[in-house]
Amino acid sequence: MNLGFWGVRGSIPAPGPATVRYGGNTACVSVKPSSGGLIILDCGTGARNLGITLLEGPFGQGQGEASILLSHAHWDHIQGFPFFVPLYRPGNRFHIFGNAKSSAMLEGILEGQMAPQYFPVQTLKNMGASIDIVAISEGKAFEVEGCQVRARMNPHGRAGALAFRIEDGARTVVYASDAGYGAGGPPAESIALYRGADVLIHDSTYTPEDKKRYADRGYSSVEDAVGAAIAAQVKRLVLFHYDQDYGDAEVDALCARARRLLDERGGRDIDVIGAVEGSTLTV
Amino acid sequence: MRVRFWGVRGSLPVPGAKTERYGGNTSCVEVRSAAGTRVVVDAGTGIRKLGKELASEGEAGHARVHLLISHTHWDHIQGLPYFAPLYQRGNKMSVYARKRDDLHLQAVFASQTHDPYFPVPFAEADAAIEFNELTDAAKFSIADVQVACARLNHPYIATAYRLTVDGASVVYVSDTAPFSDILFEDEFVARPPSPGAELPAKDRQKLARMREGVVRLCEGADLVIYDTMFTNEDYQRIPHYGHSRPTDAVEVCGEAGASRLALFHHAPERTDAEIDTILAHTRATADKTAKQLEIVAAYEGLDVELGQR
Repeated sequence: MNLGFWGVRGSIPAPGPATVRYGGNTACVSVKPSSGGLIILDCGTGARNLGITLLEGPFGQGQGEASILLSHAHWDHIQGFPFFVPLYRPGNRFHIFGNAKSSAMLEGILEGQMAPQYFPVQTLKNMGASIDIVAISEGKAFEVEGCQVRARMNPHGRAGALAFRIEDGARTVVYASDAGYGAGGPPAESIALYRGADVLIHDSTYTPEDKKRYADRGYSSVEDAVGAAIAAQVKRLVLFHYDQDYGDAEVDALCARARRLLDERGGRDIDVIGAVEGSTLTV
Repeated sequence: MRVRFWGVRGSLPVPGAKTERYGGNTSCVEVRSAAGTRVVVDAGTGIRKLGKELASEGEAGHARVHLLISHTHWDHIQGLPYFAPLYQRGNKMSVYARKRDDLHLQAVFASQTHDPYFPVPFAEADAAIEFNELTDAAKFSIADVQVACARLNHPYIATAYRLTVDGASVVYVSDTAPFSDILFEDEFVARPPSPGAELPAKDRQKLARMREGVVRLCEGADLVIYDTMFTNEDYQRIPHYGHSRPTDAVEVCGEAGASRLALFHHAPERTDAEIDTILAHTRATADKTAKQLEIVAAYEGLDVELGQR
C-alpha cells in the first residue's frame, strides 16, 4: 500500500511561513492498495492538490474511479470536496462512504456544503462525475477497492468520528483522526480496531498541556496517540491533525515528545513520524 | 483610517511555500477609524488572526466588531466560526449583508455552525450577535463611518461597500465579473457564453446600470480593493465563474478617478512570483489608460493609511 499525505492540519487551514514545512492544509490522505484502486480518507483542503495531481492520470480523461471515506462532516474534513477537480469530469466515478443515519442523510450533508448561498455550483448534481453515497455504521466490515474496511466511532463532538481500519491482504493501515477519548484513554473497542496495524495515523492535535486547556474540543494529545499505539501494538505511528496554531517548530517538538513517551512507556519498537503534507509512505 | 489586509485569496485557503509572501488566507479586510471604530469586510480564514489580535489587544469582553459581508460564498465566511471574540461574553458583533428573498441572513450563518459541520452552534456563542439585512443601494452609518453599497455581478449576487471616515474613502469590490458578457442572478450557469457575444437588451441595460453604480461608488476613492482573480486566459475559459481581470479594475478606477487600486482575491493557483508578474504588467499597461492610478497587489499584513488619523 502507498499512502500520500495531502493535508495534515486540524480545524482550519493555516497558511503562512510558520507552517510551510509540515503544511497548512486540512485532513486528506490517499491510500493506493495493491488492487490498483484509490481510497481517499477525508476531504479537507488537501484534497485540492490531490485532485490536481490525479488529473495527470485516468481522472483527467474521465476514466478514474475512487472511493472516499469520510470520518465525519466537520468542515476540516469536507471543505476540500467542492475544490476536488476530478469530481467535475464527466465519466469519473466516486463512491462516498460516511456516517449518517441513512445514505440520503449523508447526501444531504454533502449537499449542504454545495448550496447556492455558499457555493456557486449549487448542487452535487452539477459537478459532472458519477457520485454514489453510502451511509455506513461501525462494526460491519465492507469491501472498498479490494480492501476489507472496518469502522469504529470514536468520541468526538456531538456526532463522533469514524476511525477506519483498511486491510489489504497482509498489510493494515488505520486512520483515526479526531479522537476525543475520555479520561481513561482509548476504549478497548478502539484499541481492537487499531490492533497490530502496520501504520496507525492518529489524531495528535495537542501537547498534553494544551489538551488539558481544550479538553472539551474532543481531540487527542500526542500522549493519547502514543498510548493508543502502545496498547494496540502497532508498528508505526503517524502523528496527524495538528492544531492550527502550531508552527513547524512546535510540531517538531510534538514529534520528539512522542518518541520520548514511546521510549518511556514500553513502545521502543514502535516507529513514529509526524505527517508531512506532500509526503508519501510505503507500507 | 487604517486599512489592514488579513486575507487576500479567493476560492479556498492555499497554504504552502509558493503563497508565503502574498498569503494563503481567504478574504478579510479590516478598516479602523482614527476614533477606533472597527469595520471588517468579509470573514474568510484571514479573520482568525484578527480575532487573536483582538484578544491580545486587551479588548476581550468589550470588543465591538461590525462585519460587512460581500456575499456568503465559503471563502467570504468560512473563518467566522474560528473568530475567537465570538466566544467571549461581553463582545458585540453586528453582521451586515444583502437581504435575500429565500433565506434570512441569520439562517445562512446558523447552518454554517450546525451539527454535523461544526461543534459549537452560533446560537451558543457567548458574544451578542445581531444581523442587519441590506438593500442593493443601502446607505447607513456605523458610528463615525459612512457606508454606501452597490450591487455586483456575481453568482447569487454580491455587494460592494464604500467606507468613508477621517476624510478618506475605501471601496471593496469583491466578487464581481465584468459587466459585459454575462448577467449573474440566482441561477446556476452551466456553460460559458462566448465572451463578446450579444446579450439580450434587458440584460445589457441591467449590466450597464450595475457598472455605473460601481463606478459611482468608486468615485474619487483613495483606495479601491478589487476582485482581480482572473487572467485574460481564465476569463476566456471560465467567464461564467464571476470574476474580473486587472484590466477591468483599472478601467473602473480610471473612470472613477480613484487614486489607488489594490488587486485582490488572488486565484488559489497563483504563486507569489506570478502575482509579482501580474502586478508589474498591470502597472505597465495602466500607464496608458489611468496614469494617476497607483497600483498594489494586496498581501496578508499590508497596512494602508488613508486620510487623517
